[in-house]
Formats: sequence, C-alpha cells, structure tokens
Amino acid sequence: MHSFMHRLNNLVTFAAVLLAVLCAAASFLDAFNSPSVHAHAEVIKINRFRKQLSGNDEASLTLNISMDLRSLFTWNTKQVFIFLAAEYETSKNSLNQISLWDHIVPDKDHAEFQAQVANKYPLIDQGSNLRGKKFELVLHWHVMPRTGRMIQDKMAVSSFYLPEAYT
Amino acid sequence: MDWEGQKRSEIFMLISLVVFGVVAFGVGYAIGSFQIMMLIYGSGVVLTALITVPNWPFFNRHPLKWLDPSEADRHPKPQVNTAAPKKKASKQK
Repeated sequence: MHSFMHRLNNLVTFAAVLLAVLCAAASFLDAFNSPSVHAHAEVIKINRFRKQLSGNDEASLTLNISMDLRSLFTWNTKQVFIFLAAEYETSKNSLNQISLWDHIVPDKDHAEFQAQVANKYPLIDQGSNLRGKKFELVLHWHVMPRTGRMIQDKMAVSSFYLPEAYT
Repeated sequence: MDWEGQKRSEIFMLISLVVFGVVAFGVGYAIGSFQIMMLIYGSGVVLTALITVPNWPFFNRHPLKWLDPSEADRHPKPQVNTAAPKKKASKQK
C-alpha cells in the first residue's frame, strides 16, 4: 500500500474480519454437539404451606437434586446456567412457571453433583389455587457460549402434589 | 516501498493472516482450548504486522528509476496552448 498507516489499516481490518469468521465457525460447530443430560430432582419435604396476608398461597420445599451435565460443555462453553422450575395450571393461567432454585456451572469439573437444598426462591401463587395442585418439576439449562449462539433446553424430572390443606 | 514491494507486502499479509487463522482454529479445536486459539491468532496478527507494515528494505528491491535531473533539463516540457487552435476548414474547389 502507499503508506504505513494505509497498510496498518488494511491489516487491522482484515484481521478483525477473520476474527469474526473464526468466532462464527466456533459457534457453528456447537450445533453438532448432541448432549445427553441425566438429571433427577424431587421434593423430599414440604416445609411450609400457608396463605399469605395478601391472599396468595406460599409454599416452602426441600428438594433433592442430582445431575450430570458434563456432555453440555464444548470448547466454546463459558458456563451453563440451570434452574429448576415448578410448572402448574390454574383456571386463570394455562401455564405457571416458578423458578425454585438456580445455579451457575462454570466448567465441566463442576458439572456433576448432588445437593439437598431448600428452594432459593419462594413458591408464591397469583391467588389461592395451590391446595391439592399437581406440579411438574422441570430442569431448564442455558448453555452460554464464549462466542455465538446460546442454546437452551429443558427436561421434566418429576412431579408432586401439594396437600389439600395448609400446614 | 516500491510498487513490487507493495504488492508482495499485501499478498503476504493476506496469506499469512488466513494461515494463522486456520492453524489457530485447528489447534484450538483439536485441543479443546478456546484460549489457545485466541493466543495463536493474536500472536499471528502481531507477527504479520511486524513483517508487512513497516518499510523494510527487502520491500524496496525494485526501486523506481526516476529520470536524472540533467537529462530532464535537456527535454523541456511542451508548452500547453491556452487558446484553442482554430480548425482549418478545408475548402474543396
């Protein structure tokens, strides 16, 4: 090129375009990863089930969670965000989803574990519909990449019923 | 840099960056380390910049032959007429 700055500009621009191509290729290859996730979660105990002063039902549970997420990790995975949602149906809403517990898995070494926890976030209904209700526990995961597209998926793990009367 | 050097510099820059990109991706994917890919590519960009951007002497091997000043004086530049020459209409008798 005709001058120092001319050549430098040319090089930097081309290098940036190539970097974008590399990142796109890395993200593209992620689509070929077919993961197999094993997970199980169940409610061990219902700690508390009452009606709040505001009129909404509230429940507090103890959960037993075990999972193996190692197959989700590729070279382009920064972290995996997982959360356990309780899904149920009411007359007002056909689908209610309440996140009970979430966790960030930073790498493959931490991807297989077992835990017994109380729910991080309270199960509060919009109204008073939870007595005797059937819930489905669904594990959701978001695979967050270093570059490119985020992949999310879910899996139903178990179901439980809340008692007919408040405890 | 002379013309030939500029051409060589640009071609080398394009090829070098693409090669480093491909090698970085291949090694990174094989090892499974995103960081290694970035390191190889980044050092490749810096290395290519060091080779192609500055005005190194090996890019100046075909210097332009400018006309010698004493030779130029012997052949003065033609004067450009400011007035447009009139067209001579050829009369046919």
